[in-house]
Amino acid sequence: MKKAPAITSRARYYVPGFYLLLFTIWQLIFVFRIVPDYLFPSPVQVARRLWELATDGYLWPGVKATIARMLVGYGIALAIGIGVGLMMGVSVIASKCMKSLFLGLQTLPTAAWVPISLLLFGLSDHAIYFVIIMSAIPAVAIATSDGILQIPPIYWRAARTMGTPTYAMPIRVVFPAALPSIVTGVKLGWTFGWHGAVSAELIKSSVGLGYLLYMGRELNDAPQVVGIMLVTIAFGLVLDRFLFGLIERHLRRKWGVGKD
Amino acid sequence: METPAIPTLTLEGVSKSFISAKQTVEAVQDVSLEIANGEFVVFVGPSGCGKSTLLNMIAGLDHPTAGKILVEGRPVTRPSPDRLMMFQEHALFPWLNVIQNVTYGLRWKYRFKPRFRKARGKELLNMVHLEEFERARVHELSGGMKQRAALARALAPDPKVLLIDEPFPALDAITRQKLYGDLQEIFTATHKTIVSVTHDTREAACHGDRVIIFSARPGRVKGEVQVNLPRPRDPNDPKVAEYAQQIMRELEGELSNEKSASDYE
Repeated sequence: MKKAPAITSRARYYVPGFYLLLFTIWQLIFVFRIVPDYLFPSPVQVARRLWELATDGYLWPGVKATIARMLVGYGIALAIGIGVGLMMGVSVIASKCMKSLFLGLQTLPTAAWVPISLLLFGLSDHAIYFVIIMSAIPAVAIATSDGILQIPPIYWRAARTMGTPTYAMPIRVVFPAALPSIVTGVKLGWTFGWHGAVSAELIKSSVGLGYLLYMGRELNDAPQVVGIMLVTIAFGLVLDRFLFGLIERHLRRKWGVGKD
Repeated sequence: METPAIPTLTLEGVSKSFISAKQTVEAVQDVSLEIANGEFVVFVGPSGCGKSTLLNMIAGLDHPTAGKILVEGRPVTRPSPDRLMMFQEHALFPWLNVIQNVTYGLRWKYRFKPRFRKARGKELLNMVHLEEFERARVHELSGGMKQRAALARALAPDPKVLLIDEPFPALDAITRQKLYGDLQEIFTATHKTIVSVTHDTREAACHGDRVIIFSARPGRVKGEVQVNLPRPRDPNDPKVAEYAQQIMRELEGELSNEKSASDYE
């Protein structure tokens, strides 16, 4: 008990130190010309290029476009994923059939959805939505159904004796009891969807983070490529850590799970 | 008003067998009992005597293979807030706070009376001495407090019969003794019909107006002990101990017959 705070307080220095080290090594590789500089930009060049992109009005519309696509695609994926997951959680047959399918789909790299989506939807935003949806659904559905299957049977029995009508079971018992697991799936689904969105934009789009990456490559603009990668990581991390992470931690605290 | 002629709970030749591919296990055999309104009846028996199964059947969570269970003359077909159960594990919902848990069973009966529900919840929390923990999360309560909250939750819809399935052994001696006191206090105050299940003879003597002794597999009624002591009873009272010994003697033949000690859950 006493050790934990000491480690975290020291970790406060370790983590920034680690990143400082990383950036120093990066800068040193650049300074000593280990890789040609037109292929490998320095942190400073990347920062400058990002600043240019931002002030010239390319960066923000790109970020906005990707996030807007995520909101639509991921929203649909959540509705379908949770719906299918609830079905799988309630019906053993549905669970048996769908689980193998979703586990299989989950092994498919998100970028592998791009060709088929282009064939199906052509050069439209629908193709990107499709990739996001297909990338995110399996994780959400599996986590939802797992969450329901893990509900202790005593909750069902208690709820039944206390007169919970059948129609109210999903809202009053099933969903809240499975919620911590559903949130984990929602978080994972966001990450997969985010992968899918950027992958799809890379191949087909005229705005968005993936598009900026693609343009960087076309123009041999290494600082832009690296810079957009960093922005993509930053947004992924911020949403994962701060938005979903906060929800998850709040739930865990409320429920008293995962605490020592 | 109820006519006193009809007992609150009637069991008529209740039997229960569990049939699996390999074998048929008879858990409960031909149990007939009448439990009057406001009576505290304790089922005592060795593990595997089907007493928990019997309680589940009274709750409507399980069905007898033969015989009938009647509540105020009406057959039991499914679970109902008429017969609420306090489970071995507290079974409180972690997504609700304490008062939300306590008022859960009122939600459908008093759908449009949120104020009544709240007031009733507070009243019950007072009864089990948890008024300060109204908004606490379930995991913040100690083991004994959880069981008291579970008791309040089971009492909230004012059931005709309260069923108690061994909720005490998981607690330390002092907490358990306090709970015995609370339960008797509540029983004296509400005069609820209570059926509880235990294998602790002292607990049985301390709680029961009537203690029904069950034989081991298959569970059959073997004997009955009337406990004629005033309440509240102290489990350490020598008179209670005397009754406990009497119950133990009745049980003893059975305990030596007990082979595999696994209860049917």
